[in-house]
Amino acid sequence: MNAGVALTAVAVVSLATAIIGFYGLRISRTTGDFYVASRTVRPWWNASAIGGEYLSAASFLGVAGLILLSGTDALWFPVGYTAGYLMLLLFVAAPLRRSGAYTIPDFTESRLSSRTVRRVTSLVVVMVGWLYIVPQLHGAALTIQIATGLPSWVGSVAVVVVVCITVVAGGMRSITFVQAFQYWLKLTALAVPILFIIFVLAREGAEPLSPPAVNPTDLAPAGPYQNVSLLVALLFGTLGLPHVLVRFYTNPDGQSARRTTLIVLGLLSVFYLFPTAYGLVARMYAPDLARSGQPDAMVLRLPGQLVDGMPGDLLSALVVAGAFAAFLSTTSGLVVSLAGVISQDVLGGSVRGFRLAAVVSAVVPLGFAFMTGSLALAGSVGLVFAFTASTVCPVLLLGIWWRGLTDAGAIAGMLTGAVLCGGAMIAGSMTAAGLTPAWLAQPAAWSVPAAFAVTVIVSRATAHRIPASMPRIMTRLHTPERPLATER
Amino acid sequence: MSRVRVTAPPTSPPTPMRGTSRALESREAAQDSEVGQVFVRSLIRSQLRLALVVAGGFLLILAAFPLILVVVPGLAATRIAGIPFGWLLLGVGIYPVIGLSAWLYVRTAARNEARYRDLAGDQ
Repeated sequence: MNAGVALTAVAVVSLATAIIGFYGLRISRTTGDFYVASRTVRPWWNASAIGGEYLSAASFLGVAGLILLSGTDALWFPVGYTAGYLMLLLFVAAPLRRSGAYTIPDFTESRLSSRTVRRVTSLVVVMVGWLYIVPQLHGAALTIQIATGLPSWVGSVAVVVVVCITVVAGGMRSITFVQAFQYWLKLTALAVPILFIIFVLAREGAEPLSPPAVNPTDLAPAGPYQNVSLLVALLFGTLGLPHVLVRFYTNPDGQSARRTTLIVLGLLSVFYLFPTAYGLVARMYAPDLARSGQPDAMVLRLPGQLVDGMPGDLLSALVVAGAFAAFLSTTSGLVVSLAGVISQDVLGGSVRGFRLAAVVSAVVPLGFAFMTGSLALAGSVGLVFAFTASTVCPVLLLGIWWRGLTDAGAIAGMLTGAVLCGGAMIAGSMTAAGLTPAWLAQPAAWSVPAAFAVTVIVSRATAHRIPASMPRIMTRLHTPERPLATER
Repeated sequence: MSRVRVTAPPTSPPTPMRGTSRALESREAAQDSEVGQVFVRSLIRSQLRLALVVAGGFLLILAAFPLILVVVPGLAATRIAGIPFGWLLLGVGIYPVIGLSAWLYVRTAARNEARYRDLAGDQ
């Protein structure tokens, strides 16, 4: 790969991100602007922004690499990432928008009238966010190292610096524009090279080196338990992702929150066709990439391997640019939502506090990323989804749909989920790779039901703690907003 | 069916508040009456039932996809335009199902809300 071309691509993406961030600075003035873009973002913009934010390193690099390794089994990853949004649409989108809260802790506090619930939720949300940023930084490190030969820490540091500058400059308003731009950039950066490769292969009449069903490595395929557990994690984990939820507050009302989600589903469906295509083409024409020990790098290496000369270099640079956009957009989305939570809870909710909190929420995971080694990206992001599904998801779902939820039940449920799933993650990382038993590697299938059960049982036992404001809040969550004309 | 007395919600003089918070208060005040709460409960129940039906239907189809490949031998390896059918089914075919479920849900949920609006507006 041509390091100069790749570096230029990374610089252009970072610069474009920063410029759109500064452009946004001129229109965001008030605290409301900073947090949720004043709730005036149109559905198409908003949907592109949600897509841009959601498609992380795992989607851009990890999914294709995993498909190369494990074939059709890995197709459950993109299906789960997309279907998670369906669950979000069905159970969360409109009520959450109607709750009128800014962040998940805001929601749990107002639903359960409890400061303690708010603190526990904030703690969980910050943990989820940090856990999720770490794989993004690992992805950046890998990309920079492969594309330019520079030491890998440069990639992580570059992402953190660009994200800090953008978020501190513009807040959510500019982030919305940045994210929307980055969805389309990511789609182009993935679609153009693979279409070009398929075109070249077809014109040359190249013969496949191996049929797609053949496993390129001797790794054992995932069993039915792992597939089911993974789907549980992805379907229920998406509901609780802090950076995804905060996006719904930028819709003007509940019905437009639903329409936005519908568009997002379309955008995600189109996007995930391409990692699947990369996986299939690599399996047939470049199975040796699976044996390099870095399957996550497959998307970056494939264009250079199958297309010679300058066109190959340019296509590689495009993929690198798209990958960098993925790290930047997901990280900045997470940083914005974490900064919202931290600044409201610790620093009193001012714009200054938001900026300080943004820097803190970006720098801490950088430390984690330096301390830990890179795992398979799709796998480590899957674990974060399992953690979210076991902690935030039960409280959110039961809070929206069940009148009997109490503050004690919510806290007990979140702590149970965090201990079970977090414990499994720690235990899994301590056993040698390949020897981790399936139930430990994919804890969602048992940790999510356990968290739900504890939440319900403890709520039932403490039914006298149901807040008096509950009927009013349930009404607010579920009744449609009146047309503006009748409200004035 | 027991008869309930249908009354207008108790109206208090509007408090001078601005923007969305006033809209929110008036929306909630309208549903404070006993009848209002009945309507709200029935709306929540129908929305939850709708969400569960759509989710259940989608999960059934999702589970059926790999089962078809196992039950019909040779189907997974059958090629359409050079691509094995198993890959097409899981890699492409599932997305229209997701989109269709979502579209059906959005339409029906809006209809439930419209019905609620009619009922709550009549009280």
